Amino acid sequence: MTRYLLGSFQASERRWIVVAALVLLPVFFLPVLPVWTMKLWAPQYPEGLQLTIYAHTIKGDLDNINTLNHYVGMHKITPDDFDEFRYMPQLLTFFGVMALLAALVNRRWLAVLGWLGFTAFAVYMFRDYANWLYHYGHDLDPRAALKLEAFTPPLIGYKQMANFKVWSLPGPGTLLLGFAWLLGPIVFWIERRAERQSAESVAKTVGVPA
Amino acid sequence: MKRKIGLALLAIAILAWAVASGCTRMAGGAGGSAAQKTYVKPGEHDTHYAFLSGGHSGQVFVYGLPSCRYITTIPVFTPEPAKGYGYDEESKAMLGGFTWGDAHHPGLSETNGNFDGRWLFINDMPHARIARIDLKDFTTREIYGPIPNISAAHACPYPTPNTEYVFAASRFSAPVPTNKVAKVEDYVKDFKGVIAGIKVSSEGRMSMGFEILMPPFHWDLSDAGKGPSHGWQFFTCYNSEMAHDTLEVKASQAEMDYVAAVDWRAAQKAVDEGKADMIGGAPVLNPEKVKGIVYLVPTPKSPHGMDVNPTGEYICASGKLQAEVSVFSFKKLMAAIDAKKFEKEIMGVPVLAYDDVLEAKVPVGLGPLHTEFDGKGFAYTSLFLDSQVAKWKVGTWEVVDKIDVYYSIGHLSVAEGATMNPTGEYLLALDKLSKDRYLPVGPSHPEGAQLIDLRGNKMELLYDFPTYPEPHYGQIISASKIKPLKIYPLSENKNPHAIKSAEEARVERKGKRVDAYMVAVRTHFTPDVIRVAAGDTVYFHVTNLEQDIDITHGFGILNSNIDMQVEPGETKTVKWVATAAGITPFYCSNFCSALHQEMQGYLEVAAAGTRIAGVQRPPKKQVEEVAALLRRR
Ligand SMILES: [Cu+2]
Repeated sequence: MTRYLLGSFQASERRWIVVAALVLLPVFFLPVLPVWTMKLWAPQYPEGLQLTIYAHTIKGDLDNINTLNHYVGMHKITPDDFDEFRYMPQLLTFFGVMALLAALVNRRWLAVLGWLGFTAFAVYMFRDYANWLYHYGHDLDPRAALKLEAFTPPLIGYKQMANFKVWSLPGPGTLLLGFAWLLGPIVFWIERRAERQSAESVAKTVGVPA
Repeated sequence: MKRKIGLALLAIAILAWAVASGCTRMAGGAGGSAAQKTYVKPGEHDTHYAFLSGGHSGQVFVYGLPSCRYITTIPVFTPEPAKGYGYDEESKAMLGGFTWGDAHHPGLSETNGNFDGRWLFINDMPHARIARIDLKDFTTREIYGPIPNISAAHACPYPTPNTEYVFAASRFSAPVPTNKVAKVEDYVKDFKGVIAGIKVSSEGRMSMGFEILMPPFHWDLSDAGKGPSHGWQFFTCYNSEMAHDTLEVKASQAEMDYVAAVDWRAAQKAVDEGKADMIGGAPVLNPEKVKGIVYLVPTPKSPHGMDVNPTGEYICASGKLQAEVSVFSFKKLMAAIDAKKFEKEIMGVPVLAYDDVLEAKVPVGLGPLHTEFDGKGFAYTSLFLDSQVAKWKVGTWEVVDKIDVYYSIGHLSVAEGATMNPTGEYLLALDKLSKDRYLPVGPSHPEGAQLIDLRGNKMELLYDFPTYPEPHYGQIISASKIKPLKIYPLSENKNPHAIKSAEEARVERKGKRVDAYMVAVRTHFTPDVIRVAAGDTVYFHVTNLEQDIDITHGFGILNSNIDMQVEPGETKTVKWVATAAGITPFYCSNFCSALHQEMQGYLEVAAAGTRIAGVQRPPKKQVEEVAALLRRR
């Protein structure tokens, strides 16, 4: 165990950590790549309504969706309500800086710590998002004109909600973040393989069976 | 073996299905039955818009072609409660106190001689007005006039190839200025015809360009020159006999009436050089004093239709009491003018010789009225007396085809047939009578319109449809040229009475004038309780905060003549006088959403003289509640 925490990386692994750092530094994709998108269709909205979540804000047909949602007593969706939009970009930058630092000072424990922190962050964000969805579908205004049974909009995938067909899918932002996260195990795997190969070659030259 | 036959049958069935569905898809193509050629599937759109003038209904009717589906009515000269037109203060002011008009000739704006889809102009003949409809929202945006000195603008508006001008001419010659006292017996001495050129700015605004005093004939129809004849405007007339009574007999005696050719650039130049007299508020040119602006061409038997062909070389005038269309050559017209070969002058206007200008006489049939053109060198003339359309070839002047129409056709309209590049696929026959064509509805029969396919060698009748009175003339434009707004962007709402949040909603009082600034959103008004006193005049300024397609809110007040329709993002104002103390409900009159029925409020009218706060705001809690719902970025 300590073997993985102590020590440094080889050049190829360091390159991959830099890549992870670049992906995580949100200036590169924050304003352009959605983290999540939700698309809704109803008979009277054949062109569909869309919600697009970025790391720093939420965009799309918010006004129309809010106007419709008030009939069932759903809370108004406004970017101001989400503290997440205030800390998410900073946190992502923080993890990027950490990865960059790990590559620069070439300390393995720093990289492992960063990756674990990032993993915890991702798990938290998914739970957080799921909580929001639950909140929107459950904490309905008791004075609402239409009494609807509590519901949860889909986190991922398709769901029929009242007369709306809803598709919810991660956006390119999340896919990119997922790729950065995956680089952790990949670096680990590359390292293991390189080690094993060098052990084999040592064994070969020494003549000891691997 | 059996199985093989089965397979073969299946293959044939699939093939038949494929061919059949292929044909349906080709509904716009030349093949298939009339039903297939006019069929537009549910959810699909027509390829052309047809704008039909509403005659004395004062409106414009919009149809889709080839399906002939009625799409909407654009109110122009007549109030229309369904659209709140003529009820809100802005459109009431535009109507200028008139509640009817006789809308005759829709004219689409042009750029380089082609329809550009910006505006539709239309005349109100009896009140000498011209309206401009913006095709961004299919709404009348301007009514210009009554044009001074013009007495019934029939030859109107007919835009020039770059919409530099729209024209008007007096159908009923009358004294000039209009308020001059005269005797009808002194017709020849005291009466005048007037031609007016109305300038159109690049934003579409109309303004007075020039007027020309003409002999007191009855000026009938007009068309703009194009291509080589660009810069000229042509007019037909009847009653060159200058009769003032029993016109049915007396105005049909002369063999020849006239076509007037106006050099509008020369006329405008003369006005700019100060050669005009101000009469009735318009700069008027007198041909006795100012030469080179207008000429007359003798034309047989009360010519009616005036139509310039797409190349701009031929000017066609139809003698409605003759069986021929007279075709004049613009080249010959210019040559005769250059040679100053004039027969005589009538009230200062030089008259050219008929034979010097004539190119051909086309024997079309009885009662020729109007001619339009396709893009393939053919002309189509409506024959009122024959109830037919005649197709003839420009150049050879041969009549190549005729088709019966039902009945008594007036105008006809070919797809973009008034431009330099007609698409020419369809022709609409606009019939004055429909008689037995539809289910009977009593003695008042609808008017009739008929879609005729022009794509084959022979004209083919595709469809009949009834219309509300009266599709006088029509303009057909490719649907691709028109891109209307879907909503009014709230951010572009510059109405001085607009409010864009619930916090701004309020009622303000200045003496006996009360201004209620209200917002409408699904499904409530804010404020929804308004306190005034008897004797107050209340202006309701309602802003529809919706930015969703097709969510119109109405604002109707019970027991009043007040209702308006406010489109998404729009602000409108109505005026209401509180006559007596009591309660008067108001409500949303346009079905908007699930709780539309609940979208209502109360006007609480206190006794006259009751002191009421200078500013009323809805209760804070209500504003907060509504604001939470309404907050817009
Ligand atoms: Cu409403």
